[in-house]
Amino acid sequence: MPVLEKLLVSERVSALRERVLCIKPSICTERAKFYTQVYREHEDKPVILKRAIALERTLKGMTIFIEDGELIVGNQSSCHRAAPIFPEYAVDWLPKEMDELDKRPGDAFFITEKHKDELADIASWWKGKVLYDKGLSLMSQELRDLQDAAIIKATGNLTSGDAHIAVDYYKILAIGLTGYLKEIGQYQSQVKRYESEGIRKDHFYTALTISIQALQSFILRYRELAYELAGRETNQERKKELQTIGRNCERVAGQAPGNFYEALQLVYFVQLVLQIESNGHSVSLGRMDQYLYPFYTKDIQKELITREFASELLECTWIKLLTINKIRPWSHTRFSAGGPLYQNVTIGGQTESGLDAVNELSFLILDSVGRMRLTQPNLSVRFHKNIDEAFLMACIRVIEKGFGMPAFNNDEIVIPELIKLGVEREDAFNYSAIGCIEIAVPGKWGYRCTGMSFLNMMRVFLATLYDGQDKYSGKTFYQGLGNFVDFNSFEDLYRAWQHQIKYYARKTIEIDTAVDTAIEENVPDILCSAFVDNCISKGKTIKEGGSKYDFVSGLQVGIANLGNSMAAIKKLVFEEGRITKKQLIDAIESDFTGREGERIRYLLLNFAPKYGNDDDYVDLLLKDAYMEFIRELEQYRTTRYNRGPFGCKYYAGTSSISANVPNGAVLPATPDGRKAFTPVAEGSSPASGTDILGPTAVFKSVSKLPTNKIMGGVLLNQKLSPSAIRSEADKQKLVSLLRTFFADLKGWHVQYNIVSRETLLAAKKEPEKYRDLIVRVAGYCAFFTTLSPDTQDDIIARTEQTL
Amino acid sequence: MVFNIQRYSTHDGEGIRTMIFYKGCPLRCQWCSNPESQSSEPSILFDARICKGFGDCILAAPKAITLNSNGVHINRPAISHPLRLKDVCLSRALTVAGENKRVEDILQEIEKDLPFYQQSKGGVTLSGGEPLSQGPDLTHLLEELRMRNIHVSVETSLHVHWKKVARCLGLVSTYLVDLKHINREKFRLFTQGNIDLVLTNLRKLVEHRENIILRIPVVPDFNHSMQEMEKIINFAASLQHIREIHFIPYHTLGIEKYNMLGMNYSFGSKKSVDPSELTPYVNYALTKGLITKIGG
Repeated sequence: MPVLEKLLVSERVSALRERVLCIKPSICTERAKFYTQVYREHEDKPVILKRAIALERTLKGMTIFIEDGELIVGNQSSCHRAAPIFPEYAVDWLPKEMDELDKRPGDAFFITEKHKDELADIASWWKGKVLYDKGLSLMSQELRDLQDAAIIKATGNLTSGDAHIAVDYYKILAIGLTGYLKEIGQYQSQVKRYESEGIRKDHFYTALTISIQALQSFILRYRELAYELAGRETNQERKKELQTIGRNCERVAGQAPGNFYEALQLVYFVQLVLQIESNGHSVSLGRMDQYLYPFYTKDIQKELITREFASELLECTWIKLLTINKIRPWSHTRFSAGGPLYQNVTIGGQTESGLDAVNELSFLILDSVGRMRLTQPNLSVRFHKNIDEAFLMACIRVIEKGFGMPAFNNDEIVIPELIKLGVEREDAFNYSAIGCIEIAVPGKWGYRCTGMSFLNMMRVFLATLYDGQDKYSGKTFYQGLGNFVDFNSFEDLYRAWQHQIKYYARKTIEIDTAVDTAIEENVPDILCSAFVDNCISKGKTIKEGGSKYDFVSGLQVGIANLGNSMAAIKKLVFEEGRITKKQLIDAIESDFTGREGERIRYLLLNFAPKYGNDDDYVDLLLKDAYMEFIRELEQYRTTRYNRGPFGCKYYAGTSSISANVPNGAVLPATPDGRKAFTPVAEGSSPASGTDILGPTAVFKSVSKLPTNKIMGGVLLNQKLSPSAIRSEADKQKLVSLLRTFFADLKGWHVQYNIVSRETLLAAKKEPEKYRDLIVRVAGYCAFFTTLSPDTQDDIIARTEQTL
Repeated sequence: MVFNIQRYSTHDGEGIRTMIFYKGCPLRCQWCSNPESQSSEPSILFDARICKGFGDCILAAPKAITLNSNGVHINRPAISHPLRLKDVCLSRALTVAGENKRVEDILQEIEKDLPFYQQSKGGVTLSGGEPLSQGPDLTHLLEELRMRNIHVSVETSLHVHWKKVARCLGLVSTYLVDLKHINREKFRLFTQGNIDLVLTNLRKLVEHRENIILRIPVVPDFNHSMQEMEKIINFAASLQHIREIHFIPYHTLGIEKYNMLGMNYSFGSKKSVDPSELTPYVNYALTKGLITKIGG
């Protein structure tokens, strides 16, 4: 963990941060026990009431604490970073994986023997009752086989639920929790209980009331605790702090907050409890610099707070976000390495009238996140062509710290495309990033603007070469158009691809439909629905069609590999004849072993165009091939179609985080020269080490993708050597580079990883894999792998110093 | 002949630039970081670290390329047509630097990054080798770039006949002129060149009121001392219309290319100059009223 810039943060913040980072993640069984009790006691009740009561019991009974020095309070489980268990989603896996939890190579969890016994008990009651079982039973054998074969993956959604949503913090801060109770009461009083629909709505409103009241009493428990601690506190300063915390809780439990501190505390409580209610991740905070700004600016004007104190509160909030934790089965964990919860905070962008929305709070949030260097929140900056230049430069200075933030999203493509989809102008201008790079309008959008099922595109491509047979599982899911060796032209191959990909596109939707149906019926979120328009007025949960908008996306993995494989075959087999069809098949079947296999592999790697080098040959081929999938997708609608929301459509998405690793792990060798079971390319980024013409070429290639059809996110990770942004002039050039990518080329997203010492060491050892690493000194730039070992060592040593 | 086209270059002129590296140089600076640029013929580079031993190069040039106990041995003079080896090596351990690129092809590469130039006020920098030594294609390219309104910088040693410079007048936005030294003997010893030719051309260029930025490579044992640098800076300051001077610290990033080319790196210092060492020079230049920069 990088060292903190001690001078820039308070002792308090430094101590809180240190404490949280030192905690070993563990398991908390409290939520699981309360939910199980309630489900057992109330088997007769509709699921929506069961879940409201279960949330209520948890919030009333769970351990709460306020740690020394904390200014923002609220805990998710019995101790910080202890993951609660959500047995109603899936729990079978826990007894099976329990003994391995602390031995995981990543995301390890500490668990006591006592908790193991408790969980075994809990798990035995839930057998056959959990979302996972019910979801699978809604699927045909074929759909289950596709998942078992690991071509399509949707189990994460069944074991962990949905989320990928941001609620309406504007409204929460404006009307307060009591305001919601009034609104719910008004609608409930009009319910026609003599109609079947009416009965359902009645239960929903009752559940909403129980849940909001439960949240209120939860907050009041912190008031009690804060006052109690204040009573015992001998340090006068801390005593005052605790009294303030108590007053804050008292206020926001009922009324709308009156100042910045209270507003931030309420936002954190809501954010927290949403993640006690539901097991999904990517619960996002939306445009924090916008909805908190009126509170901030008023307090500053009245001299109620200082900039420094506001920063300290934000820093305390970021540390609290990091205390929230989730545990997922290993099968799912592999897809999102590092265990982040993707609690996104979005800053910048435009106001509804199209003016630059960057304000003083945007800077404060940016800088405070930069000082904390934590994995939470996930910070996104909305770029637009008139964005404040000083703000962009400040962003680059945070990027330079090398923890991958902030990422950029682009108003110049998102807003016009949302409007084209039919989103109201005012809503389109208010979009925010969700999770990492996907987008939605906070408080008006349903779940899963991305992250429905994952499709392993290259498994489909390989099936195309074998008359539809999936060599990895040995199964033919969909009869193809022949074997590759019998194809006479590239067009034959392309037709076979069109044929296969349509089938798989349809199957992803069939799986999503089963998952959505199961989630709707078994694990409706109540609190989350309260905070999303128009659930209350329609009397429906989000999943039943309560949201104003509903657009979702699955994730397609292996994008660059698809383009590169097609281009290699087209050029080397059909145009130049340098490789015969049989040679290619033999080579990939043998994983390029033997001298002949190696030769073929290097031909494929080095003598065919690669996506990421601004070469139309491969870039446009990839676009066409991807469009075949997208065109099929566009025909389908979500389970909310005709039930209320606008849209109910699918679009494509590539924000697949680390899924490139497990998807590669079930993928034999591919015709782009990739060895069997190694990772595929991440998101929409070029395949590792293949983009050798620098960042402008990468941006050009990426911008040729049909970005407006990939509204689930066009993920681009770029490596940046520290030497490339050392001086102010270098930073300025990076800003120009970004401006071109976003304003002119209409790119979707980019995120920078600063090349680390480890990467350079690896590049020295395995030069072929790191051909894209560029090192710059004044007036000169060179590929790292071509430098002399001495110079490489020198640069490695210097990299350590600068970071 | 071009040996490299490098996009997103950020240290050789304003903004984001595409650099065109030409082959052929009249000088032989001992510290040269682009040794493959010196010869005006295609050069063969071989990086043993990524050689897979497929042997295609040996099949293609059996008399010149052989396998001995130290690995692949390349007898470069025995290769009469190096370009024939261009796409022979599958692992790209053996590459050929230099090809005759048509002006249209160079333009096509340049135009790929047009939006980046516009946003950053960048453009194209012609470098080398010595770009001004090139044949008539050079002015052809410059004219085409002028028509397209693309900003052009030329990085030059000015160690060429004046008529080679004169033909470019009015077609180049900025000249990045290497001023390595002003001492005749030292210049000859370290570069095998004639400083009078450089200085005469530089004065003429100044007379034509061209936009010039002087670039001084700061090289140990050559000019990296206050005493020598004062003289160079004084000279620069004495030239009318010259306002800007850049100090380029010596670095060792190019050393491995000597190995790859089968050449010896005879220059003494193997240690890069840290930019912080240049501060006294910058300060001195400032007292002379010059705008300065470390690096390009």
